[in-house]
Formats: sequence, structure tokens, C-alpha cells
Amino acid sequence: MHNKTKSVQSQPLIAAIISFVAIFIIIMAIAIINAPTMGGAKVMATAASYLQEVKRTALPFLGIVGIGSIALGFIVSRTVFKIWPNKRNRSSMITGYAFLAPYLIITLIFTVGVILFALYISFNSYDIFTPPQWVNLDNYKNAFRGFVDPASKDFVQSLYNVFWYTLIVVPLQTAAAIFLAVLINAPIRMKQFFRTVFYGPSVTSSVVITLIFMWFYLKTGYINFFLAQFFGVFGVDWQNILWLGDPRGLIQIIVTSLGGNIPSTQWYLRGPSIAWMSIMFQNIFTTAPTFMIMFLAALQDINPILYEAAAIDGATNWQKFWKITLPLLRPIILMVVVLGTIGSLQVFDQVYLATSGGPLGTSLTPVYLTFREALGAQGPIRMGYAAALAFILATIIFIFTYVQRRFIERGTEQY
Amino acid sequence: MTSIIRNTDLKLTNFKSKKPVFHYIGLFVRYLILVVIGLILFTPFILAFLGTFKTDAEIIAFPPKFLPVHWLWENWSTVWKTDIGRGGTFPRWLFNTAFLSITVAVLEVIFCSMSAYAFARLKFPGKNFVFNFMLATMMIPGAVILIPSYVLMTKLHLINSFFSLIIPGAVSAGGIFMLTQFFKSVPRELEEAAHIDGATSFQIYKDIILPLSRPALLTILILQFQGMWNSFLPPLLYLNSADKMVLNVALSIFQQQYKAQWNLTLVGAIFNAIPVMILFFIFSKYYIEGVAYSGVKG
Repeated sequence: MHNKTKSVQSQPLIAAIISFVAIFIIIMAIAIINAPTMGGAKVMATAASYLQEVKRTALPFLGIVGIGSIALGFIVSRTVFKIWPNKRNRSSMITGYAFLAPYLIITLIFTVGVILFALYISFNSYDIFTPPQWVNLDNYKNAFRGFVDPASKDFVQSLYNVFWYTLIVVPLQTAAAIFLAVLINAPIRMKQFFRTVFYGPSVTSSVVITLIFMWFYLKTGYINFFLAQFFGVFGVDWQNILWLGDPRGLIQIIVTSLGGNIPSTQWYLRGPSIAWMSIMFQNIFTTAPTFMIMFLAALQDINPILYEAAAIDGATNWQKFWKITLPLLRPIILMVVVLGTIGSLQVFDQVYLATSGGPLGTSLTPVYLTFREALGAQGPIRMGYAAALAFILATIIFIFTYVQRRFIERGTEQY
Repeated sequence: MTSIIRNTDLKLTNFKSKKPVFHYIGLFVRYLILVVIGLILFTPFILAFLGTFKTDAEIIAFPPKFLPVHWLWENWSTVWKTDIGRGGTFPRWLFNTAFLSITVAVLEVIFCSMSAYAFARLKFPGKNFVFNFMLATMMIPGAVILIPSYVLMTKLHLINSFFSLIIPGAVSAGGIFMLTQFFKSVPRELEEAAHIDGATSFQIYKDIILPLSRPALLTILILQFQGMWNSFLPPLLYLNSADKMVLNVALSIFQQQYKAQWNLTLVGAIFNAIPVMILFFIFSKYYIEGVAYSGVKG
């Protein structure tokens, strides 16, 4: 990248050429490796069809990325030579950014660039095929119209659902994770073995877990069987509960059993539906062991002298847990709560597979809605609207993260 | 003087040796709880695995039986021979998933370690700014990038091409952050010696840093392999033609394809779970360190 013999003027040109050649080689290499996987046996039949496939997959990149890289290489190296005529500084600068180049290029295009584009189309009406049309804040207004117009309540309802989800899932999964971690961290043999066994189920994909639980949740599934077997005495006809298709809300059930009634126009008073709570239960099942591992690592960092000192002072195990373990775990609890909240607000896989947002929209989530609107699964493609929804969700996530950080960190200074 | 107080005097062995009976009861209860929880956590997989051998009628029968009455091994071969047309076959989906996961994991290790080396060791203007920028990008929720990425991929004609997942997947802020922390803990003396001998930055990176940090690189490799293998939403958006699908997406179609034949759907699910499970049991140490360290998996 830095050639000693050439004059300063020709250096930018060399940099541009080198960056283009490098990118050309990378793109061609990927295209050549990738071609058989793209077209299968047909492509591999003759050399000509193979080359054709390589060309087809590589060309869009050579056009956009390749030419871009020439311009970028030229401009950047020119600026560098102008600002840092000193050779030592220059070479350390070039080495640094050369190492960072793959990360920076990909992130600038596929994260930063893409977000700026999303911001732009969130103010437009856009369906991919026709040029975007500026509509001011209409997309954002439409998103919140559910507050006044019950007919378009989808987004408001999806927010309502994920708030319940966060409210129930995050505390439960954190508590379960701490419980599991403390259980394993006790002086027992085969600690490694139990750790592996507990964490095992969490490495599989959410799709697998969801499919298995969908089967459990069938009317004739194991959940109903188990409940009928052990809780049949409560007089509930467990076999007739369709867990993933029951829109009755938690508060609604309580009110109904007391003789009251909540009309469907006041859906926001009904609480999380049975279908939605079924998904919550299934999710706690897999996230708790993941977070357990984080707590376990933190527990092993706690100085055992603290426990010994407490034991000499006559503290019980219960007191040790509340006065030593929990306060020292605070930073990790913060991290787990924040990560859990971010994950909860973005539930998608389970909803897509198990309920498709139903029954009566009680399991709609913002990400599922975004996906639905962007692909036009119900009605026209509304990219702009979907982007606006995504931005509102992102804002909510940022606010939540910030508030939780302030709220939980306030207590940690004394330790 | 020092030998007067012997080591045995300080030990609390005598004090500890008188253990009351309830100590052993407590120990027994503790192990019992551990075993029961372990079993509960594995129950879905055990039941699903046994379910794969059941007949169509038996899989939805009530009350459900624990063991299949007739062990129907054909379910597995039926699923293996699944063909939804246009090149969409089960082996093909398996290949797609494996290819994508391996490519993404390997690229990620290469690119992340490069960036991490720059952050941990090199001095250049703007380093702190870029590092903070990277930390900021970690905060961006995936949902925001979803829609415009889809538009970009459509415009680049990358829908139904593996590039759409390989390129954005080739770097991750989480991986870079984790490796940066690790590289900082590698002792500097070796590098300084190499530097005096005239080694370039790239040689130091390739010959000293990379070999010394094999465990961390392996952790990233495994976590990213698993991340790609398990990812659902991006492949669902970008790869939708029958022959490009990954296993996860194909499974969601399975469920529509086989309707009430839950035994076949479960075969697909277990098939999907087995490679990651095996990988986990072999490399569980690295997995657990990786998750504990950074929460990359989330």
C-alpha cells in the first residue's frame, strides 16, 4: 500500500488501483466459490454456464463496489498524503485503517447507510417498484392512529402486547437465571456436567423450540395431558383449551369469572391473551439458561472471603444471598435486564411460526408488523410505513435501555 | 518461630467433620433438584425425539404415550426425501445451511480479528472515535436495519443469493469487541521483540497474535456458526426460492406442507437441532466462555 520509490503524486493512483484489484479478487473469489451453490447442478453442467453464473453474481458488485473503491481509494489516499506528509505517521495511519477496512466498509454500507435510507423512506410512501413519494409525517401519524381509531389499532396493539411481554418475561427469566446459577454454583460435584446439561437446550434455534412447543400446545398435546393428569381436580376442562388460539386475556378471565364483561372495543383492558402467555412461557424456557451462564461467570468472580466473613458473623445462607450475592451481581443483573428487554421488544420468530399475530391480534409484535407491511403479506407493500414503525420501536428500545441503566445503576455506587 | 503454628492447626477440619444428618439430606435434595431441572429442560427434546418415530395417528392421539407403540423409522427417510419442487430438497437445504454458517463464521473470524488487532494494538488517529462508533452500532436494534436492507438487497439483485447473508454477516461489532478485549490481555513482550527484529504489523498479527488467541477465535467461530445456523428472519427475507432456502425457513414451510403430520415436522426440527447440539457438547467450554463473556448470543 505504501511504495517507497514512487513520488508522492503517483501514490494515490497506486492506492486506488491496489484497492480495486483487491476488491476485484475478493469478489471474483466469492463468486467462483458461490456459483455452484447458487444454481446447483444445472450451473455445473458446462464450463460456459458456470462462467455465466459467476459473471451474473459478480457483476453488480464489480459495478458498484469496484468503481466506488477506486474513487474512495484515490480520495482517501490523497487526503492522507496532504494532511500527513510525515512518512511515519502516514504509514501507521494506513496500517490502522487497512486492518479496519473490511469492518468499516461493510458497516458503513449495511448499517449506517441503510439506516439513513430507512430514515428517508420513513417519510415517504414507497413500494420498491415506483419511486418514493414524500408524505411528511403521515407514516408516523398512521402508526399512532390506533389511539383514536380502533379500526387501525394494529401497531398500538402490538406495542401493548410487547409491553406485557417485557413486563412478565424479563423479571421471570432473570429470576429463573439467578436461581439456576446459584444452584449450580453451590459446592457440588460434576459442576461442569450440570452446567452443560442446563445450557444444552438453549443452543438450538428458536424455530426448533417453537415447533416442538406448538406440538405440545395442541389440544391433544402433552401440556393438556400433563395439566389434566395433575390438575384435573380444579374442574377445568383442560383438554378443550387451545393454547395458541385462545384470545381471552388474563384480566378478562378474572373479570368474567367475577361476573363482569370487557367489550372488544376496550381490548386494551383485557391483558395478555392465553395465546400470548403460552409464547411467553416457551420463551422463558430457553432464555433463562442463556442468562444463567452470565450469572454463573459473575458468581465465580465473587471473593469467597466475603462469604467466610459472613459465616463467622453467623449469617445464614439466605442472608448471604440477599446481602452479598445479589448486591454484587447488580451490574450483571443490569446487563441481563437490558439484553432481555431488547430481545423481548423484538420478538418475531415465535409469532411468525406459532400464531401469525392472531388470535384477534393479541400476539402481534412490532417486528412482525414491520415484516408484514414491508412484504405486503396483508394488503399493499408499505415500505415507508414499515420503516416508520421500525424507527418508533428503536426509539422505545433506546428509551428503555437508558431508563433501566439510570434506574439500576443508581444503587451500585456504594459497592 | 513460624514452625510453631503448624498448618493443621489452622484448618477447620475438626470443626467441619461433625456433620449433622440433615446435611446429607440437604445434599441429597440439592442433587435431586439439579437432576429434576436438567430433565425438565431436556424434556421437550426427549419427547420430540420419541415423537419422530410415532405414526400419524399416534402423534396426535390423546392421551399421548411416552414411547411409540410401533417404532416407525420410515419417518426419517420420508423427510430426507422431501421434495417441494424447483430444486427444493432436504439435503439441499441442509447443504445451504451448512455452507452459509461455515462461510459466515470463517469470514467473521478473519475480519473481526483484523479490526480487533487494530483496536487493541495499533496507534492511529481516530481510533477512539471509530471504537466508540462501533460500540454505538451495537445498540442499534436489528429491526431497524431490516426493511432498508431488504430494499438494498432487492436493488442489488441479491435476493435469493447467498451474498445477501454473507456480506453483512462477515463482520459483527460484538465479535470485534470481544476479540479486542482478548487481544489486550495478550502479553506485549513477544510483539516488541518481533518489532525490533523488523516484523511488520501484518506479520505480528499473523504470526504472534492469531496463534496466541486460538481459544478466543474458536469461541467466535462457534458462536457465529451457531448464530447463522439458528437465524431465521434474515434468511426468511432474503432467501425464498425453493432451492436457496435454509433449514429453518424450510421448516416453517414443512409445517404447512405436512399439516397434521407432526411426526414429520418434528423429524425436521430434530434434524436441525442435532448438528448444533453435537457441536455444543464437543465445544461446550468455548460456548459457555463466549456467552458468559459478551452475551453475543443474547
